[in-house]
Amino acid sequence: MKQLGLQSRLLILTLLVLGASLGLTGVVLDASFRASNIVAAEEQLELVIYSVMGAVEEVDSGLFLPEIATLGGLSQPESGLYALVQTVDGEVFWRSRSARLSDVDFALAPGNLAPGDFRFLDGRDVGISRFFLTYAVIWEERGEEVELLFRAAADTGPFQVQVREFRRNLWLGLLGVAALVMLVQVVAVRVGLRPVRVMADEVLELEAGKRTALSGDYPHELTGLANNLDRFIEHETASRARHRNALDDLAHSLKTPLAVIRNALREEKAEFNEADDEPLQIDSHDVDRVLLRDQLDRMETTVAHQLSRAVSSGPVVVGHLTGVRQVVERLGRALRTAYRDKALQVDIVGSQELKFRGDERDLMEILGNLLENAFKYTRSRVQVQVLPHAQAGVLVQLDDDGPGIPPEQQQQVLARGERGDTALQGQGIGLSMVVELVSLYGGELQLGESALGGARVSVFLPGSE
Amino acid sequence: MRILVVEDEQALRDQLTIFLKGEGYVVDEACDGEEALYYGREYQYDAAVVDLGLPKIDGVAVIETLRAEDRSFPVLILTARSHWQDKVRGLEAGADDYLTKPFHMEELAARINALLRRAAGHASPVLTSGDLQLDSAKKEVRVADALVELTAFEYKVLEYLMINGDRVVSKTELTDHLYDQDFDRDSNVIEVFVGRLRKKVDPDGSRKPIRTVRGQGYRFAGESA
Repeated sequence: MKQLGLQSRLLILTLLVLGASLGLTGVVLDASFRASNIVAAEEQLELVIYSVMGAVEEVDSGLFLPEIATLGGLSQPESGLYALVQTVDGEVFWRSRSARLSDVDFALAPGNLAPGDFRFLDGRDVGISRFFLTYAVIWEERGEEVELLFRAAADTGPFQVQVREFRRNLWLGLLGVAALVMLVQVVAVRVGLRPVRVMADEVLELEAGKRTALSGDYPHELTGLANNLDRFIEHETASRARHRNALDDLAHSLKTPLAVIRNALREEKAEFNEADDEPLQIDSHDVDRVLLRDQLDRMETTVAHQLSRAVSSGPVVVGHLTGVRQVVERLGRALRTAYRDKALQVDIVGSQELKFRGDERDLMEILGNLLENAFKYTRSRVQVQVLPHAQAGVLVQLDDDGPGIPPEQQQQVLARGERGDTALQGQGIGLSMVVELVSLYGGELQLGESALGGARVSVFLPGSE
Repeated sequence: MRILVVEDEQALRDQLTIFLKGEGYVVDEACDGEEALYYGREYQYDAAVVDLGLPKIDGVAVIETLRAEDRSFPVLILTARSHWQDKVRGLEAGADDYLTKPFHMEELAARINALLRRAAGHASPVLTSGDLQLDSAKKEVRVADALVELTAFEYKVLEYLMINGDRVVSKTELTDHLYDQDFDRDSNVIEVFVGRLRKKVDPDGSRKPIRTVRGQGYRFAGESA
């Protein structure tokens, strides 16, 4: 699964933390606002109760409460403020005008209340949208002590409106803060991660062969990584070159003695044949020579094959881009010199811009062998087309008007060390080497018939414009 | 024909020299780049066989230097490093053909022969002038389809004159190209050889293919003369 990018990670994390913290803040603020709202309601009801208690007058018939003008709400219907005075047993002495007119039900029992205690009830707990406050007092009435309950009620409507308003403002505000913080965070992340993005871009350019080292202009946290990467690339390039040179030297030091041995065997053969014109007598020396020559052939093939395979580097970490057409043209010029006698018509067509993603020497090895074959086997014409290819990247098509390769031989020709035609000199590892090298790069080699009448070789290689 | 062999590996150099001498060439040997440059500057060669991996100065540099100094003799490069980059570099430096080690001597002979012909502007290995035919591949000479028996030296004189076509070849040039450098250069010997050669390829003296240019040397006149 593809991992999330650094920027997305940071932003998602910020969003989560911000959501949780602002959400919690909102919930806490909301709860405390509601709590303080209820306290305010309780205080208001307390005031009402005290006002009512202050207005009680004793008359002969008992307690008397005049219409209380100062507490405007209590005398108006639907004012949302109500009061009532009753005995513990439920006998109502007095009911405010608003309570009478609105027929407010004080049925909600305050429960047992010691004299001097207040009890606040939130009616919404039982489906009534009012707050109730009850105050128990011992009232001396003509020398007699009567336990009275002073009760007040208020509609929750105005409180709820306040809470709703507060809530709306609160969440809108928090949302605004969240948006602002996210915006700042996005900018911060972009600015903060810019060097990382620059490095990622430069690494891509390295891979594509558009640069050979990082720019080195990084904040100190990344300098170490950048330097290490540069050193790694340098080391890789150097060790690749060392590896190649070592193998080159090995090739040189093996092939020259092989050439000497081969020639020594040949000399003896020549002397032997010239000695007389009698039919050849096969003796043990001849058998030895045949054996030696066979072994020599095997050694030559093995050395040539294994060494050229070991030398080819294959896809590289730090990609080089090699102009395909430029390499084809260089090889074409060189081969034209070597094959001057054949007076061939050589056409090279295609884009100058197509690039092979890999080592120039490997590309030369691939195309050199293929082009040499075309020059060797063609009668009069060689055509090379360098074409863009959707899947692979680059397609190089080589056509000649030579004898071509019969379909039944094509597999054999591609196999290691085998040759389709033994009439011409060569080590016979060229084409199979090419096949191996091409597949090392994830490419493909196809053999077919050319419109020119000879063979068509198509090589699909990784590349780009 | 005088050939310069440049190869640092003594065993292979000896084999090349012995083989090429056997093929009728005059051979000079150089074992490193410096010696190759010395010989290449000092003598006029008909061809050179140059190994690319040489001590002191590498083969490509030797070829480049000689070409820059207008030495135009054909060069066949030998390379053990069979990379195309080396071959291409060699050919770009001015070499004319390449051979990868290990190689067959017969292939080497064929390549040198082709280079010599090519340098003289002849496409076919058979040089023809009227009824006189010289097959440089088989080293045979025929007059009116009849094989002419020539000594190795007579053959070399005739081949050199024919390859150089209408050009006047001095006795010194002939000696240079046909003898080893330590040979005692007596121009009378050349005259004797040319005289014998004339008798063999033109017994009745009717065609006179080899003309003497007074004070200058010899010229192959061919049919048209």
